[in-house]
Amino acid sequence: MTEKELHEEKPPLLPSWGYWYVLVVIWLLLLIVLFYLFTKTFS
Amino acid sequence: MSALDWIVLIATLTIIILYGIWKSRGKQNMESYFLGNQSMPWYIVLLSIIGTQASAITFISAPGQAYTDGMRFVQYYFGLPLAMVVLCITFVPIFHKLKVYTAYEFLEQRFDLKTRTLTASLFLIQRGLSTGISICAPSIILSSLLGWNLYWTNMIMGGLLIIYTVAGGTRAVAYTQTLQLAIIFGGMFLAGWMVIHLLPPDIRLKEALQVSGKMNKLNVIVTKFDWNDKYNIWSGLIGGFFLALSYFGTDQSQVGRYLTAKSVKESRIGLLMNGFVKVPMQFLILLIGALVFVFYLYFRAPVFFNKAELARVHATTHGPALQQLENKYEALGDIKRQQVKDLAAAIEAGNPTRVETARTALQITENNANAVRQEVVSLIKTADPAGDASDTNYIFLHFVVNSLPKGLVGLLIAIIFLAAWGSIAAALNSLASATVIDVYKRLYNDNAAPEHYLRVSRLWTLLWGVFCIVVAQFASGLGSLIEVVNVLGSWFYGVTLGIFMVAFYLKRVGGTATFWAAIAAEAVVLAMYWAEKVSFLWLNAIGCLLVLLFALILQPLVRRR
Repeated sequence: MTEKELHEEKPPLLPSWGYWYVLVVIWLLLLIVLFYLFTKTFS
Repeated sequence: MSALDWIVLIATLTIIILYGIWKSRGKQNMESYFLGNQSMPWYIVLLSIIGTQASAITFISAPGQAYTDGMRFVQYYFGLPLAMVVLCITFVPIFHKLKVYTAYEFLEQRFDLKTRTLTASLFLIQRGLSTGISICAPSIILSSLLGWNLYWTNMIMGGLLIIYTVAGGTRAVAYTQTLQLAIIFGGMFLAGWMVIHLLPPDIRLKEALQVSGKMNKLNVIVTKFDWNDKYNIWSGLIGGFFLALSYFGTDQSQVGRYLTAKSVKESRIGLLMNGFVKVPMQFLILLIGALVFVFYLYFRAPVFFNKAELARVHATTHGPALQQLENKYEALGDIKRQQVKDLAAAIEAGNPTRVETARTALQITENNANAVRQEVVSLIKTADPAGDASDTNYIFLHFVVNSLPKGLVGLLIAIIFLAAWGSIAAALNSLASATVIDVYKRLYNDNAAPEHYLRVSRLWTLLWGVFCIVVAQFASGLGSLIEVVNVLGSWFYGVTLGIFMVAFYLKRVGGTATFWAAIAAEAVVLAMYWAEKVSFLWLNAIGCLLVLLFALILQPLVRRR
């Protein structure tokens, strides 16, 4: 497998790997917000 | 344990061993043994990554951590999803492109043989010793709680998995981890459900969460920055990121998991999915601990959850003093039981003033009870200086053994074995791969027949298994074993990560400068540890930064010579 092929290997569902990486970061931020609300709600 | 518990325990362990042997069938060579012919789909990679990271201590210790300190430990994992992204961008494509068996092969291609050998050696020392301790840690807890012989518990904890790990290599490890995790998650869900079920009839999940929250056990997010506080959002994001990057990027026990994927795409999806599921998974495990805390507000809790340690103190001249403290704690428990009912009734009534009054009263009694617990800890340290003065790891299993119905106790004990087996099997496989690929084949015999390398690989898997069990048999006198594992990791992880960071990001630095930078950094890290200048947790970051700094300083000098 060439370096070009490695980088061009398409991810599932989304058009590029960059979208997947952003999605993981957004998921982490969402979890932090939800956990913050959880902490505040039950404290 | 009842007969039913023994049947469930033995049947579960037997099923896993037979499944592992069944998955070992078929023709093998070294590539299939260490890389599974690079044929694994992303979900097997994901489960194998989770199964390798989640050891027995994860399932024993995390609920106890939530019981004593609340759920804020989950923040420790916040850096992990970010590390997964960096791994997918940098590490994964390079490892796949170079078609390596181990992460350390890359270092020879980037630097030279001596840097590769040094890094592989650091891994072998650290992983070999810490795997032995990982066998001993849950064995001590189980033998203490259930009165089992520690020698034989170590043998079963570290020995039976060797059968399928030697026979089937990484493929058997990955598939057994998948089945193990299915059983583990099922059992943990049942345990969580049982905690709610065993509470008084008027206390359901919502009420239990409200009580737990009022007692500050649902403190998932702590935003205040404090250098001395291990678990806040900042240390979790920054410290957790470097720790996860080091562990998943440079530790062969994890690199070996995602190298089995059939493509870069499958490796990346497996790692990114780990970024999605790991934090919620830890949250749910910790939530069980927070609910067990509520359970022990309503029902009698021992003053110290390690009963074997209590029995040892009772047998000394400090026995009467301990009995007095136990009576005092029991009396406070009676008060707490009434106060928690008042708090639940106030929450139900929706009266904030009454809630605050009831909460304050319960908190004062809880603080008094904790003060008694501290007195007991001091007494244990005096009466038995070599004993374990922390009972965090005993809390969840004490609840399991004393409160869960027959059959489920056996399943939960089996889960401890399965969790241990998953991480130990991956460790043995990675130790064998680093030994055969980075040392034996590279330095001593690079021109043998494929069958020879397969035989040697199996032999080294067996030898490392025996070595780790021997370490486990001697580890029981080392004090807090979880801390020993963390200290061992902090001696080497930072320097190893530093070497890989130079490889990826300091393109002008060569092998000789990096090699000597790593040696110097390792010496400084060990000297700082022995001088007790900083907490061992900081050694990870210090080791990494020192390698980068020393390599930059040494590179012009090396070039000039």
